[in-house]
Amino acid sequence: MQAAVLRGTQNGYDLVLKQSASLDQILVDLKTLLENLKVDPQAQETSKVSLDVLTEDRILTAEEKQQIEQMVGNYPRFEIHKIAANVITVADAQQLRERENVHLLSKVIRNGQEVSMQGDVLFLGTIHEGGKLCTTGNIFSMGNVSGILQAGYPDDESKLVMGNLESAQQIRIAEQFDIIEPDELQPSPQTIAYVNDLHVLSYGHLDKLKKINPKLYNQIGGI
Amino acid sequence: MGKAIVITSGKGGVGKTTTSANIGTALALMGKRVCLMDLDIGLRNLDVVLGLDNRIIYDIVDVATGRAKLPQALVKDKRFDDKLYLLPAAQNTDKTALQPEQVKEIVDELKPEYDYVLIDCPAGIEQGFMNAVAGADAAIVVTTPEISAVRDADRVVGLLEQHPLTEAPRLLINRIRRNMMQDGSMMDIDEITHHLGIELLGIIFDDDAVITTSNQGEPVVLDTDNPAAQGYRNVARRLEGETVPLMKLEDQPEPGFWHRVSNWFHRG
Repeated sequence: MQAAVLRGTQNGYDLVLKQSASLDQILVDLKTLLENLKVDPQAQETSKVSLDVLTEDRILTAEEKQQIEQMVGNYPRFEIHKIAANVITVADAQQLRERENVHLLSKVIRNGQEVSMQGDVLFLGTIHEGGKLCTTGNIFSMGNVSGILQAGYPDDESKLVMGNLESAQQIRIAEQFDIIEPDELQPSPQTIAYVNDLHVLSYGHLDKLKKINPKLYNQIGGI
Repeated sequence: MGKAIVITSGKGGVGKTTTSANIGTALALMGKRVCLMDLDIGLRNLDVVLGLDNRIIYDIVDVATGRAKLPQALVKDKRFDDKLYLLPAAQNTDKTALQPEQVKEIVDELKPEYDYVLIDCPAGIEQGFMNAVAGADAAIVVTTPEISAVRDADRVVGLLEQHPLTEAPRLLINRIRRNMMQDGSMMDIDEITHHLGIELLGIIFDDDAVITTSNQGEPVVLDTDNPAAQGYRNVARRLEGETVPLMKLEDQPEPGFWHRVSNWFHRG
């Protein structure tokens, strides 16, 4: 069985590197394959053939990727579009999970304390004056906030802060921030803080979520 | 084996030293053996409040660096035969002269000898605070009904939660003025306790006698009728595990004669 197989698809060509074969075997077979195709009768075509390299359930190291790229690079007719595998490392998977999940957080963040999170946060605790909750995603707050909320850290302006924000000291989204004056906001648990098209932090109501952030609205099942 | 309790607040001037002296004295009056440790190095005054400032020979830095043995540095308060001792702070070095491990070592040496080791913490949250907390089993956070003191107490509770002691910190609200709290112009006891989210150990009313007695080098707690003294005695009893109700705010003295007469006319 060939360790390197070329497959045509609707979108172009897949170069499948079998996971059961050793890398040395793959390199040998790949060379033969490319040598054969180099002398293909239809070789007059000027356009390059772009390959999607699929490694099945094998993760190539940077060095191994380089070896494959070098091999293909020897043949001017071919170029590599991407190298993809069916699997990812545990560390990557955990990072992905961290980023995609909504994290429940129920603790007291006191004066001078800063809690940093990844992804969306559903906050059920209390933030005292001078405390700070910082996350890369959205913040949905059901707790008492008298401190600082930072969403979309460090630079994602598409994130939101939702909840009763009336008593907070500051709201920050990405690099935009707003100092909340007394009586600036209604004491409504459905307040949304977001960054508008002019890159200014502004406030709205949950009713207007469709208009404020259509992407999030669709993602969570709104029509 | 005794218990080491650190008395801290974050903010300065809320009455940590006065509280240490009075709780220590109250416990000694109850027959407990107490050692007070002053860790406010460079600005010591626990000795002054207790009226022991003229008896200091060695201090805590001498003990930590091995220049003196621990029993040599301890100052005995003669008023409470063999019950109350003071380990004074150094006056001519700064707070970096001590390391947390050294303090812990001294506290561990004192604990078997005494029922209570009370550690008077300096203001701030730097090295001095870290030193004071290092050997403690429990903490008393002192605050006053002012926003700045409550904020700093919040910060200190946060720090204590990050490096938990054996027991959770407890709160002592100092300098309460009955009239101001009753008419709502001062932060409420429940409000402060709820905000900080820790157990309330006691409340102390503001009283002129606290200052006058301190100036004479006698803790106010020796005056049995004084309301502030009662507060400190109650705290000491609660530390001993007794259940003592909080003192009432509206516990005003009997109205005067003319006041009663005018009430009599207003009644109709």
